[in-house]
Amino acid sequence: MERKYLYLDHLTCIGCETCETVCDFIHDGSPHIRIYVTENKQYLPINCKHCDDAPCVRVCPTDAIYRDEDGAVRIAENRCIGCLACLQVCPYGVPFYSLKVRAITKCDMCADRREVGLEPACALMCPAEAIQYGPLEMVLELVNERRARNIPEHRRELSEEELRKSVSSGYVLL
Amino acid sequence: MRGIKFSFLCREKPNPTGKRVAIIGAGPAGLTAAGYLVCRGHDVDIYDKMPEPGGLMLFVIPEFRIPVERVRLGAKELEEEFEVTYYPRTKVMEDEREDEGDEFYERVVRLSELRENYDAVLIATGIWNVRRIGIPGDDLEGILSPLELLFWIKGYELGYVPRDKVPKLEGKKVGIIGAGLTAVDVAFECNRLGAEVEIFYRRTIREAPAGAYEINILRNRGVKWFELVTPKRVIGENGRVRAIELLRTRLGEPDETGRRRPIPIEGSEFQVELDYLVFAIGMVSTPPVNGSYIVTDRRGRIVVDSRHMTSVEGIFAAGDVVNGPTKVGRAIKDGLYAAVSIDGWLRGEP
Ligand SMILES: Cc1cc2nc3c(=O)[nH]c(=O)nc-3n(C[C@H](O)[C@H](O)[C@H](O)COP(=O)(O)OP(=O)(O)OC[C@H]3O[C@@H](n4cnc5c(N)ncnc54)[C@H](O)[C@@H]3O)c2cc1C
Ligand code: SF4
Ligand code: SF4
Repeated sequence: MERKYLYLDHLTCIGCETCETVCDFIHDGSPHIRIYVTENKQYLPINCKHCDDAPCVRVCPTDAIYRDEDGAVRIAENRCIGCLACLQVCPYGVPFYSLKVRAITKCDMCADRREVGLEPACALMCPAEAIQYGPLEMVLELVNERRARNIPEHRRELSEEELRKSVSSGYVLL
Repeated sequence: MRGIKFSFLCREKPNPTGKRVAIIGAGPAGLTAAGYLVCRGHDVDIYDKMPEPGGLMLFVIPEFRIPVERVRLGAKELEEEFEVTYYPRTKVMEDEREDEGDEFYERVVRLSELRENYDAVLIATGIWNVRRIGIPGDDLEGILSPLELLFWIKGYELGYVPRDKVPKLEGKKVGIIGAGLTAVDVAFECNRLGAEVEIFYRRTIREAPAGAYEINILRNRGVKWFELVTPKRVIGENGRVRAIELLRTRLGEPDETGRRRPIPIEGSEFQVELDYLVFAIGMVSTPPVNGSYIVTDRRGRIVVDSRHMTSVEGIFAAGDVVNGPTKVGRAIKDGLYAAVSIDGWLRGEP
């Protein structure tokens, strides 16, 4: 299957908190996308990048973290021993330990929803169209179309290379 | 472009339950609640006083933040795929009151009537009134409310407002009082239309609710920012705004909001010449009642219990009309949880 990308464009995000809200709703109060607020009140939603060469996948001693057919980096909870190695190496601090499941949880691009033909909820509901989901070409086109309608200083097109890089984290595991 | 998928929880309409829900207000709270309820098989009708659904997202928030098309397509999908019926230009009101945006409605329906005709009702009417500051001269011509200014501008762009209603801002001097999301958006729009814009705020950027990030973008575009000042009176000439008289302030001890309280400095008055003045100092909840029928608090907000139910059994409320001014995400959260309660209540769950 073709790899899907979940891209969050911080230049068009208006910080409305809808993504965190709907993610929280479908995950019983533990959102997998979280909004950080900087000192000067810029709202920065951070979600899993589903990195190309994901350090969390590489570091997991039990192979509990894997990539599925759509390209989402997922966790097989039954194999997770809770060693927290993934948490240490993720450059975005994405994985977190869930006391409910007694394993690491993280964004899986709404795996349960994808199984029944639905897309990730954050992308569907973001009013600003800052979150796009789909094959690389489609995401790139939509992000650039959105940027073109944004405030003038943001009207710079994103290249395929930049989009790819921003989801591949560029983090080197030493 | 695709629409906001308010029905994000399901792919298609499930078997109907035969229950009918009326939603008042087609903003993010109302539309998201509708999305949830149709996914649970209920029939939903939405009443709104504006000519089309979307609420502040469509009529007030500038296009560069939320694309109009994204809101329109989202509302349309509910109508076409989930058989939601919209009743636009319909104000729901139990008593009487004038709110912003009232020039668009053509019919009035009573809240009690909806309660009789539907199995449940959700109120999501937001905050469509502006707070008045109450200083001398605040009723002069040229003083605009942020809501009317923003939806004249957007209403004209959407084709609902004639051009002569939109003030010609090019080359004019506009003063804005306040430092929240509303003040910032008014500043963006006036700046885009060629006005010289100056924001007056009684605290410093550090305390401004809109935050330094947004304010710096504005400053880079030439919007001036005046900190530590508070309006004393508006000065007119032939009934029109000519200038504002301000007092300098200093910051004292933190107040109940945790921010340091601005204290006016006596004798520090000075004037700034202006063509227009906008008071963006807060908005007030507009429930479809005016002090009777359902319980509201001192600030006009609807009082609800943990199920989002009002004092009348079967009438629920969500969004800014309950919470006061918040954000789209908060309104959506409220709409979702209120809809969960409505669904449970309709199914007879405790
Ligand atoms: C200028 C401005 C800028 C903002 N910018 C942002 C931003 O950048 N990010 C963000 O997250 N939030 C922003 N907000 C806040 C956000 O818009 C609101 O929190 C949100 O829209 C509230 O949703 P709601 O559904 O409760 O109400 P609304 O969106 O206000 O919808 C209420 C609906 O009810 C209708 N209505 C009202 N009274 C009646 C009646 N009596 N009968 C029938 N219909 C009625 C109205 O026509 C409207 O359609 C901004 C608000 C303003 C004013
Ligand atoms: S962002 Fe973190 S959790 Fe997501 S794939 Fe990359 S390393 Fe793993
Ligand atoms: S929903 Fe979209 S605009 Fe709102 S905070 Fe999330 S990414 Fe930003």
